[in-house]
Amino acid sequence: MIDLALAPGLRTALAELLLTMADDEFVSGFTDSEWTGIAPLLEEDVAISSISQDELGHARALYQLLATVLADGRDEDALAYDREPDAFRHARLLDHPRGDWADTIARRFLYELADEARLASIGDGYPPLTELVGKLRREERYHRMHLVAWIERLAHGGTEPRERLVAALAAVGPDAATVFTPLADEPSLLEARILTRPLAAAEAAWRADLTGILVPLGLPVPPAVTPTTDGRTGHSDSFRWLWGEFTSVRRSEAGATW
Amino acid sequence: MADLEAYEVFQQAKDGDPMRHGGNVLAPDPELALHYAREMYSRRNESTRLWVVRRADIQVLEDPDLLDPPLDRSFKKPGGYVMRDKLAAARARAGTEKPAARATGHDRTGGRRGERP
Amino acid sequence: MTDPLALDPVLPVRQRSERPWNDDLPHDERYAHFEAHVTAGGKIEATDWMPDEYRTAVLRFVEMHANSELMGVLPEREWIMRAPTLRRKLALTAKVQDEVGHAQLLYRVAEDLGKPRDAMLDDLIAGKTKFHNVFHYPTKSWGDVGIIAWLVDAAAIVAQQALRDSSYAPYARTMQKICWEESVHIMHGRDVVVTLMTGTDSQRALVQEALDRWWGPLMQMHGPRGDRAKDRDLHWRIKAKTSEELRQEFLTIYVPRLLELGLVIPDPKLALDDETKTWTYTEPDWDELRSVVTGHGPKSQERLEFRRLNREDTRWVRDSILTPAPAAAA
Repeated sequence: MIDLALAPGLRTALAELLLTMADDEFVSGFTDSEWTGIAPLLEEDVAISSISQDELGHARALYQLLATVLADGRDEDALAYDREPDAFRHARLLDHPRGDWADTIARRFLYELADEARLASIGDGYPPLTELVGKLRREERYHRMHLVAWIERLAHGGTEPRERLVAALAAVGPDAATVFTPLADEPSLLEARILTRPLAAAEAAWRADLTGILVPLGLPVPPAVTPTTDGRTGHSDSFRWLWGEFTSVRRSEAGATW
Repeated sequence: MADLEAYEVFQQAKDGDPMRHGGNVLAPDPELALHYAREMYSRRNESTRLWVVRRADIQVLEDPDLLDPPLDRSFKKPGGYVMRDKLAAARARAGTEKPAARATGHDRTGGRRGERP
Repeated sequence: MTDPLALDPVLPVRQRSERPWNDDLPHDERYAHFEAHVTAGGKIEATDWMPDEYRTAVLRFVEMHANSELMGVLPEREWIMRAPTLRRKLALTAKVQDEVGHAQLLYRVAEDLGKPRDAMLDDLIAGKTKFHNVFHYPTKSWGDVGIIAWLVDAAAIVAQQALRDSSYAPYARTMQKICWEESVHIMHGRDVVVTLMTGTDSQRALVQEALDRWWGPLMQMHGPRGDRAKDRDLHWRIKAKTSEELRQEFLTIYVPRLLELGLVIPDPKLALDDETKTWTYTEPDWDELRSVVTGHGPKSQERLEFRRLNREDTRWVRDSILTPAPAAAA
């Protein structure tokens, strides 16, 4: 399945992009799946669980694509599970734990819109990715509807919900732009039209999108921060705990089939 | 403070099918009712269309006097026309036989037994 | 196929739609009409008049079923986090999601019988209402995930299939949907078990160890043998089969499927009588069953406390969505 059309340098750059996208969806889906069975309303429980399944499904598809790009014998499960915590490349925004419902909605809202801006930056340079992104964007539509509905309800839901939402946005806001942490070799991806714009431009689009929703509700827009290069490394203790949990069965019998 | 309200959900399993009642959800407002209907009645892609309506907005009619008035209305139904014996009599009078190869007529009679258009 | 010339239904529409127990009659007369209808296989809708005894019996039955779905979420959700592959994680999340969905469907049926969801959750958490014995036990390994999804769900589906004919029509309709979804869970569970049984020695040991722990509770799950004639739920056709019929059906289907995998069923007396085609087995520990379902199981109190805390922690969210938006309130 190895794609010989990719030059080695471009392959590395593409693999990095795919890994960041897959890890983002994987960790986000893991955190959201913790709500399964304990969400505020039975009906909402089913909804948030579907969303976490969508995200894990996206992660799975992205790891599968990454597996064909890397062609080093690892399948999607090996890529997802058989790495040390430091090798994960998800954005620091997603290191924040599940928290309460306001924390979840704030983190998910900032991430979902960021992911949309990123997906909108994928060009036609690598057709398998273009095709996959078309599908991902169709599934993300519902996530956006769901989140905007909740942002509005918490903003208008009385003093306590609004205060909790504002506090949650303040807690995760500073890390929100880490989704757009520059990739090591963006110029190659741009040149190959795998990306149609730099991630910094995607971030600007994201900020405009956020502003259009948060400002009318009188909610704070996350502060603009100087782009850092470490937005996807040096993960939190919360993620290390999560990693310990999610790899525990798999590590108990290395190499076994489950 | 408002209450959670019941919304009834109707689903169409595939294009062209009738809308069938699926069940209901509780929701605080019509928008979330739509979200929850999607989850409860199509999370396995089992619907191509959903109708979601507040239970309080449904008008119910179940009075047998209105739905099934008691006097004879058999003339409105195919089963109200039993003419096997009369047909036999008509054939006898015309001196004809019951046709061997029969096509189903538009009144759904005439086909081979068991055949349905 | 019907003769096209004989399209008239067996019963005229009027007779089918007449529901004399809904008429303003003396109680005993209504009761007699109602009972005759139900015992002859007729269906009852939520909007029908029904005797208090019937309403209470259906409510008790459906409420316990709903409670069981809700509490059944807890032992399995602990393993969502630890599922060892992406596909297993997706399947397990979807399964637990279905249990939540079933709780929603069943609480809706019960709510329409007149008991609000909050009152049912209050009673559950206060230990006033029950949930199935199997959800009072701990889970210890990934082997439990397979055994629960396969065998606990199989034992449940045996009972639920018989409920698709329940006289209480909203419950019967809900069972159609639930049974369809449960059949996927059984496949997921059996696939987990079969995969482990084709794996390493320690993977195989996980399954056997889990089966050894779950067999007792599984044999107790349908309840002690009872007298058919004295069972009100059977009389009202709320349910269709006795505990022993369900247990026999479960054993008939699943014992061979366990044995073919090389698993050992931890009951030396378990045997099929060739003549009567019935299973004999060591008498299940009915004292354990009674103790467990009254809140004295190894995990009963911890899981109820977890539900109580979770409900308190999320109360502000429910309150927030029940506050009308400013635009709507104006």
